[in-house]
Amino acid sequence: MDVIKIVEKLEGIYNIKSVMSILKIQKSTAIKVISILRKNGYVKTKQTNKKNRVYYISKFNKIGGKSYYDIINKHSPIKLSESEVYKIYGREPSLEETLIYAIKTKSVRVILAALSLFKYINNWTLLYNLAKKNQAERKIGALYDLSRKFMRTRRMNKRFIQNSLPKKEDGYIFIIDSLQSKDFKEIEKLWKVYLPFNSSDLEDYKLK
Amino acid sequence: MINVKEQQDLLLDISRELKKKMIIYAVGGTAMMFHGLKDATKDIDLVFISEEERREFKRAAMELGYNLFSSISVYGTKPNQPIMLARGKEREERFDLFVKEVIHFIFSEEMIKRANATYEFDVNLTVKIANPHDLILMKCATDRIKDKEDVIDIINKTKIDWEIIINEALNQIKLGKERAVFYLGTFIDDLVKLKVNIPVEVQKKIWHLLEKQIKEKNKKGKHFK
Repeated sequence: MDVIKIVEKLEGIYNIKSVMSILKIQKSTAIKVISILRKNGYVKTKQTNKKNRVYYISKFNKIGGKSYYDIINKHSPIKLSESEVYKIYGREPSLEETLIYAIKTKSVRVILAALSLFKYINNWTLLYNLAKKNQAERKIGALYDLSRKFMRTRRMNKRFIQNSLPKKEDGYIFIIDSLQSKDFKEIEKLWKVYLPFNSSDLEDYKLK
Repeated sequence: MINVKEQQDLLLDISRELKKKMIIYAVGGTAMMFHGLKDATKDIDLVFISEEERREFKRAAMELGYNLFSSISVYGTKPNQPIMLARGKEREERFDLFVKEVIHFIFSEEMIKRANATYEFDVNLTVKIANPHDLILMKCATDRIKDKEDVIDIINKTKIDWEIIINEALNQIKLGKERAVFYLGTFIDDLVKLKVNIPVEVQKKIWHLLEKQIKEKNKKGKHFK
């Protein structure tokens, strides 16, 4: 059995039935195939609410490591598929670092999913230092205020707010170029940051 | 040979020995392993942007028991040879450390931009992986059968946009590597002989570019270096 060829054919998310249909094999053989792929490190298994198994098959699973996407997916109701390869080995990336990464991607969906991290972030000093290094203090402040409209979060410390609020001479900045909100003008005005979301974009959070 | 897991553990150990943060670039078989195109490699090929960073990496590797050895046995008289470090009785674990230039090619700004897969090892070491298109180009100028097999694997397993490779070869000419298109053309000829499916338009375009380059040289009364 050429394991790599099978991985290439199956790259994606499957249940046992879809493996059977793609490879045109019986259930017992499909189970064996999944088992061999898992032994070779190509399969991550998740259980659905109905206790069915879902297999995420990818050649990159073998490479291991932790990605910022893994962390966002763990904490957010909005699940992301990895659009770029960014893996970390030998340490657990912090939530604060993950939030900064999300902002740097300039992707609507990644930033939207990462808003959930505010529920769990409590090291405001680390977040401030990382934000300062990446010139994202005001962006963080604005996204924090936005997230408070839809979810319970830990309270941001006053020092972060005092140090990050814009000065009179500061101009407006974009989180994502040329995107601004129709619905959150007061937050945009306070932080002088254009938010890339409207109220309807946050439906997934409202349902929670 | 070193496998994926051993390679990760090794880079993690090196990261923990490093005294400063650095971003380096994986090329050759190492890059292929990160792209999931290969299970093991003989040597870990890395490109550094500065000599200072290579020196620090070398120091960290030597702390882990690696020793310097001459690159002539592997690279002969080719230019821009790497610093080579090896460990083990039969030098079974090997590092090839380049600075900016990999034998006949420059690791250009465009190649750096295309290397967008990123792997962070602990705090100090970030490894970016050369794009498969650039791996093909960099393997053009070697005479090893193993490299041809690697390129065939890349072509069969990834979607190749030949325009990217041709444009980078032209970029290499601008950067002073006059033979870049020539190496690409002869390499593709060899691949065609090995029955690799390379579009005829691509072959024609490369030879057309080479003829044009020769004509321009002749006009100026110069010839290939």
